[in-house]
Amino acid sequence: MDAAGLIDIFAATVRIATPLLFCALGGLISERAGTFAVGIEGMMLAGAFGGAIAVLTTASPSLGLLVAALSGATLAVVVAIATTKFRADQMVTGLAVNILALGLTSFLLRGLFGGRAPVIRLQTLGPWPVPFLSDIPVLGPVLFRQPALVYLALGLTIGVYVYLAKTRSGLMLRAVGENPDAAYAVGTNPVLVRMMAIIVGGAFAGLGGAVLSLQEVGTFTDGMTNGRGFIALAAIIVGRWTPFGALFGCLLFGAVAALELRVHGWGLPVSSYVIQMIPYIVALALLAGIGRSARMPAAIGTPFARH
Amino acid sequence: MTMAASETEGVRDKTPGFLERAMATLASSGGLRTFLLACAAIGLALAVTGLLILLAGKNPFYAYWALIKGAVGTTGRLAFALNKSTPYILAGVGVALCFRAKIINIGAEGQIAVGGIAATYVALNFLSLPPFLLITFALAAGAICGAAWSALAAIIRLKRGVHEVLCTLLLNFVGVLLVSEALHGDMGEPGAGFPQSPLFERAAWLPKLLPGTDLHIGILFAIVAVVAGHILLWRTTFGFRLRVLGASPQAANYVGLSTPRCVFGVMAIAGALAGFAGGIEVLGVHYRLIEGFSAGFGFNAVAVALIASVNPIAVLPAGLFFGFLEAGALAMQREVGVPSSLVFVIQGLTMVFVLCAIGIGARQQKV
Repeated sequence: MDAAGLIDIFAATVRIATPLLFCALGGLISERAGTFAVGIEGMMLAGAFGGAIAVLTTASPSLGLLVAALSGATLAVVVAIATTKFRADQMVTGLAVNILALGLTSFLLRGLFGGRAPVIRLQTLGPWPVPFLSDIPVLGPVLFRQPALVYLALGLTIGVYVYLAKTRSGLMLRAVGENPDAAYAVGTNPVLVRMMAIIVGGAFAGLGGAVLSLQEVGTFTDGMTNGRGFIALAAIIVGRWTPFGALFGCLLFGAVAALELRVHGWGLPVSSYVIQMIPYIVALALLAGIGRSARMPAAIGTPFARH
Repeated sequence: MTMAASETEGVRDKTPGFLERAMATLASSGGLRTFLLACAAIGLALAVTGLLILLAGKNPFYAYWALIKGAVGTTGRLAFALNKSTPYILAGVGVALCFRAKIINIGAEGQIAVGGIAATYVALNFLSLPPFLLITFALAAGAICGAAWSALAAIIRLKRGVHEVLCTLLLNFVGVLLVSEALHGDMGEPGAGFPQSPLFERAAWLPKLLPGTDLHIGILFAIVAVVAGHILLWRTTFGFRLRVLGASPQAANYVGLSTPRCVFGVMAIAGALAGFAGGIEVLGVHYRLIEGFSAGFGFNAVAVALIASVNPIAVLPAGLFFGFLEAGALAMQREVGVPSSLVFVIQGLTMVFVLCAIGIGARQQKV
């Protein structure tokens, strides 16, 4: 394979990793505050739907992104209330919300448009090369000749890192995820912090969905996220609950997917189904490899109760 | 339901009196409280969904009437609905047992898929066997492969400390893809436009229960599984261990119950039931392996186990509810024009409401 082919694969890796990265960052915020983010698959789907419908009706991509984030956040409100106020099991609530999102998006797609699903064909957001930086050899085409949302995702990664590691509010969020009782004792409201973390996480996941519908595919179809939210979850764990770790995890899954698309062109005798299994097996192998050394937030999964 | 962690202090330190014990049995083994709770959640979910139907400009009462008629209106439809419920009940019993031990096994989907492949392999390749043996062998192969698939998750969970939700979830994707791989490889029907295996010989078809309808004997197995699950949970040492493990892993460790053995055992049982369900689905409904035949079963099994508040007996009505809902939804879509995806909304909302109710009531539950 030549250099151009490699650059093409790297660029595709970054592009494919972008929707995962939004989701993973959203899930990370929720999990660092102590709530499993199993529902991000559904929030991502809601975002993909909201973004596509908004762009279909208003033709404004920025409005599309806003609606996508709001859609993800709205679904997250359900999770937030159920898990913090009602102390519902976080894992199964996530699954419930995923099923709910699948049904709601599919129903609204048909129900709101008079029984018939509208044909959604959107102009996808094209590449937006960064001046000067895009001319750097190798790095330029891989990182800086991408659609705008790729830059947003990379910027958010840095933002989430700074927030969690360097700000007081980020410290409190982590404290709630590690020991909500201690956080409560020093005057933080763990319920409120968790709710906000889940909702902001939902907005991020919604943006991830919008990347999918507005930038990658240009349409909305039922269940189009197809497990990407779960892959993002695996990326969080592979990245040991840190923003840059999650970035690494997403790039890893992006690379596998980018290779999958190209293996056939190379005439390798591997069926596409076997290649599609690779990300899941890699995730499993990585999880098994990291295993116990990965320490999840101590209070994750435990509902907070004032004593 | 026993998954909320706040409930770990549920092990009582004083010996309960007779009346208290009786109340506890009533409350925990599919009793009145659980039943009312699930009913309220379902009612609330139907009400919210009704608003959505209104929003779409349709009459919710008419839509629900069409749904009910579509599920139980004729013998044929009733048979169809019962067949639909069968895999949910079978897999749901296994998931419920796992939940009881606070093991969140959401891998039924992959386990059903793998079980379906195994049953198909037997049904296509062991035609010299007499029908009874062929079917038994095929279903056994499904159960064994399902158990192996979930045992894999259990091993990764136990040896490497990866949360079982993630193991089982990731293995779901692999299992479902294995069906596609098998059908595009050796098991596929040559020349068929759709990824499917050749039609089985009649000998491999599950016997019918009601002549003239599609109802196969799977529902009987489902009922047996429900009863067996109940006995296992409440009348055996293993069941007692599961309940202690679910109530407090620390307590289980302290009194010397082997936690890994319990986890492995209950996961294998759940996998076997799911794999068995996969075999039933293939031999009883499609008479062949079809790509994506297990899609959604796994999550529905989780929902069924949850609505049943993890009591095997209650899995029966919960599974029937889900099966009838789906059977009826297709009719509703045909007659009223309400999209059948509304079923997912009802299912998702029911789950959320049940979870909330359980979350509040968690402290009142007993081991």
